[in-house]
Amino acid sequence: MVEEKVKERKISSKGDDLFSCGRCGNCLAVCPVYKETLDEGNAPRGKLSLIEALHKQGLQPSEKFTEKIYTCTQCNYCKNECPSGVKVDELFKTVREDLVEETRHPEVLQMLKERIEKSYNVTFDTNEGRLEWIKKVPDIDVADHLNKQAEVIYFVGCVSSFSPRASSIPRAIVTLFKEAGVDFGLLGEDEWCCGFPLLSSGMKKEAIGFADYNIEKISSLSPKKLITSCPSCYHTFKHEYPELTSKKMDFEVMHISQYLLELIKKGDLSPGPLELKVAYHDPCDLGRNSGIFEEPREVIKKIPSVELVELASNKMQANCCGGGGNLESINPGLAASIAAKRASEIIESGARVLVSSCQQCERTLSTALKKKKKEIDYKIKVMDLPELVLKSLDNK
Amino acid sequence: MTKKDIDALGEIVGEKNVLTSPEDKICYGYDATRLEFMPECIVLADSKEQISSILIFANKKGIPVTPRGAATGLSGGSLPVNGGIVLVMVRMNKVYEVNKVDLLIDAQAGAITVDIDKKASKHGLFYPPDPGSLKSSTIGGNIAENAGGLRGLKYGVTMDYVNSLEVVLPTGEIVNIGKNTVKSVTGYNLLDLMIGSEGTLGIITKASLNLLPIPDARASIVASFDTLVDAAKTVRDIVGHGIITSTLEITDKVTINAIEDYLGLGLDRGLGAMLFIEVDGHSSEVKDQAKLIKSVCKENKAKDTREASSDEEREELWSARRAALSSLARVRPSTILEDATVSRSRIVDFVDMVGRIAEKYDLKIGTFGHAGDGNLHPTILTDLRDKKEEEKVEKAIEELFFETLKMDGTLSGEHGIGITKAKFLKDEIGQELFDISKKIKSVFDPNNILNPGKMFIE
Repeated sequence: MVEEKVKERKISSKGDDLFSCGRCGNCLAVCPVYKETLDEGNAPRGKLSLIEALHKQGLQPSEKFTEKIYTCTQCNYCKNECPSGVKVDELFKTVREDLVEETRHPEVLQMLKERIEKSYNVTFDTNEGRLEWIKKVPDIDVADHLNKQAEVIYFVGCVSSFSPRASSIPRAIVTLFKEAGVDFGLLGEDEWCCGFPLLSSGMKKEAIGFADYNIEKISSLSPKKLITSCPSCYHTFKHEYPELTSKKMDFEVMHISQYLLELIKKGDLSPGPLELKVAYHDPCDLGRNSGIFEEPREVIKKIPSVELVELASNKMQANCCGGGGNLESINPGLAASIAAKRASEIIESGARVLVSSCQQCERTLSTALKKKKKEIDYKIKVMDLPELVLKSLDNK
Repeated sequence: MTKKDIDALGEIVGEKNVLTSPEDKICYGYDATRLEFMPECIVLADSKEQISSILIFANKKGIPVTPRGAATGLSGGSLPVNGGIVLVMVRMNKVYEVNKVDLLIDAQAGAITVDIDKKASKHGLFYPPDPGSLKSSTIGGNIAENAGGLRGLKYGVTMDYVNSLEVVLPTGEIVNIGKNTVKSVTGYNLLDLMIGSEGTLGIITKASLNLLPIPDARASIVASFDTLVDAAKTVRDIVGHGIITSTLEITDKVTINAIEDYLGLGLDRGLGAMLFIEVDGHSSEVKDQAKLIKSVCKENKAKDTREASSDEEREELWSARRAALSSLARVRPSTILEDATVSRSRIVDFVDMVGRIAEKYDLKIGTFGHAGDGNLHPTILTDLRDKKEEEKVEKAIEELFFETLKMDGTLSGEHGIGITKAKFLKDEIGQELFDISKKIKSVFDPNNILNPGKMFIE
């Protein structure tokens, strides 16, 4: 039974942490799913009380329990605000793992797992299509980069590889790489999902193979740097892989925002002027969960004439876009209403361009902004950071 | 409660707004005391009319009703100790437009306290009461508990800002108490009776609140002292010079060390106390007061006195005070925050007393809080899973209460009586007032259905 497992295995080692939640309610002020639903069971302290009740065997596992645990964007704002320093993220992750072990996780996530294990990516497409996006990049010969020993390997990520909507991101990146003269390689169909969707679903065991494979594959090309444009891929390589596997990564893992700043500082890229009022949205996996706040902002500030404005909530206190964790699969309506709130912050900022560093945030926010287009008499363009830099180069 | 009762409630608020699953009962059975009581059902209310119907029904059936805001309370006010219905108010969270001439704002009971202040700030106004939980607590809960905060010395507490209330009585009548005039002396002051009644006399559904203009200047000073006595003398002399600070906060040695353990700000671990002082008002006045405060600190042997020259510096200077509770809460799994209060002149005696109790019962207690109000928060750091430890804590708290009463102090400055202090209420107010209070309760609530099991324990 899951409650015994919980008691015997993982949660028991986290007993102190579970007990340390004082139910003060500080998490209510920041939790996006609580603020939207006003349902105490969705609040972090509510989830912790349910886990504790299960732990003490006062509560039986149920569909409702599973639903509450997975109703979470994994934005980690609560952990940030917890006065007792409860490691909320680790507790929830452990419970999700326990639920998976007992096949009590949501069916939609089981389907996601099967898809990833079958095709090595999150979509319904086979992995051969990983480089479809590159066809539209002028003057590039894929053979020059595919599985090539290079200084930099660009790990494109599932969404940017397959989603037509996000494909402008990798296109912008390889164009910038060419412009800067970066010696870069791509993995094509040999790139596998980083395992983030599995990890966030509680499928740690299943994710290990993906970590091992990717590390081996990338290491075989002996790059100095691995660049990701997806913050969840970045977070997974940088912070999850070392926990998941003993395989060493003899390359530096960097997010594209960090690398672009490096290229600009070295003078390999010189942005041209853009007369734009830009706001930056911190993706949870890049900001709060990886501590990268300044590099994307610095890149934006390197573009002459750009006016960078801050959203009402930003950096460590940035509100989630709603697209985090697997909430969109579990409860799309809830994810959309969280996005709508963030969209209001964007509108209030007066920015004409919303820049982020995450294809998922950009998609949810762009949809949310479209729904609010009647509120404003101008259009707000949503862009990924490399797209903005590329646009500035065109203006030189 | 029977299935029929649940169905009847469903007819009032809609079936999906009556929760009965074990998961829901767990999630609506706690508050920040970390005590737990299971309700028999949870009702999510949307209007005063619904609440009236619920109370009429509960009154007829003798079912306990416990109103609940955000359940951030520290005395158990929103816990359903006798089971029955937990009535959830958070959906009634509307904040209405600011009345700029009368300096008023209306809000439904479930509105978040900080949202009221945010709305007011758009008009250059502010809502002064600032309890520690203001980002998550509801205004209804604040009023029911008469919540305080950091700005009490100059600006008072919740009751000083409530102009009128819309209340549903336990027997179902919807009444308006108080007038939105600056003055009103018509009849008994039932408004102040309702404020701080801890959800035992009526369910607040809407409040009309006073606002003040935001002062145009502010000065922030942090001073550190070798001894607590020097800090306390400083508090005495600041007030002695006729300066009413907006905040005058203190942290003791245990707290300073906990902050240093947690944040590593480079604080001197040998310090006896730190004071966090703020004055606000007209810029020239603030300037003079800040100068005077700094010289008072020096006269009282402050080791270091710093004034913030910018907002960023203010944030930095205040980081130690802001982290006080978080730092203490990380020391042990359980954190018990008390709010026994004495007059300002007795602060040194109070902290000494807390130190003696900590030593006697071998407990770690950090003290911080509102020195200007004499409202300190001795915070016991413990592990309540350990029964022996729990017993020690209980005895220590009991002694803390009796010692406070000996100093002519009060059991609770701002958290309320609820269940955690109910057994000591009579010790403070005496048999006569205890009996009168009980009679008042029975006048409002003849069948004792509203928030029973609170305040009065014989």
